[in-house]
Parts: sequence; C-alpha cells; structure tokens
Amino acid sequence: MSLYQWLLFFHVTGAFFLIGGIVIAGILNLAAIVKNRRPSEVAALYGLIRFAVPLIGAGLGLTLVIGLWLVHNVGYGYGQTWIVTAIVLWVLASALGNVDGKYQRQTGELARRLAAEGDSPSPELWARLRNPRALAISYASGLMAFAVLGIMIWKPGV
Amino acid sequence: MLALVRPDSWNLPLFLHILGATLTFGATATVALLGFAGLRGDPDRALWLRGLTFWIGFGVLVPAFIMMRGAALWIVDKEYPGGHHEPGWVGVGFIVTEPGALLVIVMVILAWLARSPKSRGAVAVPWLASILLVGLAVAWFAMSAKPGS
Repeated sequence: MSLYQWLLFFHVTGAFFLIGGIVIAGILNLAAIVKNRRPSEVAALYGLIRFAVPLIGAGLGLTLVIGLWLVHNVGYGYGQTWIVTAIVLWVLASALGNVDGKYQRQTGELARRLAAEGDSPSPELWARLRNPRALAISYASGLMAFAVLGIMIWKPGV
Repeated sequence: MLALVRPDSWNLPLFLHILGATLTFGATATVALLGFAGLRGDPDRALWLRGLTFWIGFGVLVPAFIMMRGAALWIVDKEYPGGHHEPGWVGVGFIVTEPGALLVIVMVILAWLARSPKSRGAVAVPWLASILLVGLAVAWFAMSAKPGS
C-alpha cells in the first residue's frame, strides 16, 4: 500500500473516532435529559460518557495531523478555501467541545454528590442538564464536526 | 487517488454512507457500553440500563445501519453499474455488512428480551456489539485504504 493509502486510512480512522465519540456522548447526554431522572441515573450515564472522551481526543489529533500531512502528500494548497474552512471549524468545534466537556464534568460531579445525599430529583441538576446555553454549545460543537465531514466530501472550491 | 477525481453526483451517497457508518460505529459502541454496564450492580439499575440498550439499538443503531448500507448500494451502483469490475475492497464491505445486519437483528431482539429480569440474553448483547465493532473496523480499513487498488 502507498503512503497516500495509509494516510487516508488513519485520517478516516480519526473521523470515525471523533464522530463516533461525539455520537456516544450525544446519545448518553440525550438519554440523561429526556426525562427527569434520579441523580444516580444521571451519574451512571455521565460516568459512561468518560469512555467517549479519549476517542474524541484521538479523533481530533488524527484528523488534524494526518489531514495536514495528506494536504502535503496530495499536493493541495494549505490556503485553499475548503481546507481553511475545515481547519477553522475544527478549531471552533474543539474549543466549544472543551467548554462543554468542563460543564458536563461538573454536572456529573453534582449528580454523584446528589446521589450520595439521598438520590431525590433535584431542580438544580435538572436546570443544569437543560441549560439552553450549554445545550447550544454542545450541539454546535457536534454539528461543526459533521460539517467538516461534509466539506471533506464536497471539497467546495476544488 | 479516485477520491481526487470523483464526479459531483457521487458526493451525496458517499456523504450519507460515511455519515451512516460513523453513526453506526458510535451507536454500536454505546450499545456495548450500556450493555456491559447493565450486567452488574443493583438489579433495578441493571434492568433500566438494559432497557436503554434496547431503545438505542432499535432507535439509533438500526436506522444508522440502514443509512450506511443503503447509501453503500447507491454509490456502488453509480461507481460500478451492474456490478462489473468491482474491486476486492468493495466486496469486503458486503462481507462485513451482510452478517453484520444479521448480528444487529439478533442483538436488538436479545436486547428486547433482556428487559425482563429473568432473561439471560443480556450477557450476549455487549459481546455481539463488540464483534460488530471489530467488523466495522475491518470494513473502514478496506473502504479507506482500498488495499490492492
């Protein structure tokens, strides 16, 4: 196999890790907010989200590093519109994902504390889970990653 | 280097295929995680997690798998009309997804049965999901690296 084939495989692997991780976190997050669940249930779901974090991290690293290498290997220009747009979206998605990750970690900690203190439904936890600003950041981050996937396929401007 | 000279009309099916594949990967991993978590701990909690495993398998994994497979047929039909001169890496996709579809069906049925406290099928669900994950990894290697082409 050529270097191009290996690079493409690792780049696509990065995309699978990144979007797969986002899907895992998104599904578990959605499962936590669709009903007013007990804190122990929210803590259980948020505890499982931690398995998605290394996948997302590895995906972010592989897509960017191998992606830039592919640009060089194939002979595209680093200044081409679709490449610049993809990098900008990648940076924004990472930054928003980082903000969301910190917020969700705090929510998970609150759920664990409330579970240990009687496990009764808490308005504070419910408000955090349904915080519109936090949800907007979370879904914007995920949608940007999907948009990058679209840009990789259509390559606008090429 | 085919991807570099791909006709525009192939983009939508390719996007839907890759989107479906990544959603399938994420949903299968979620089913595996919830399935393993539902095998231990408090029985009420385990039963609740098994219920979630079923709903995610049925509500997310099945549609994602259909999207992946349907879009794959669409793009193969455009790229190799009539099935002529299909390279080996295309065949790998079918070799993985045909038994994979059966695996998904069995997994969802077992997950549905596992909602009952008396069911023993719960043990099999996360392991079947793990096998499907390995199959998906083989397919994405074949689809992206296209060995032999």
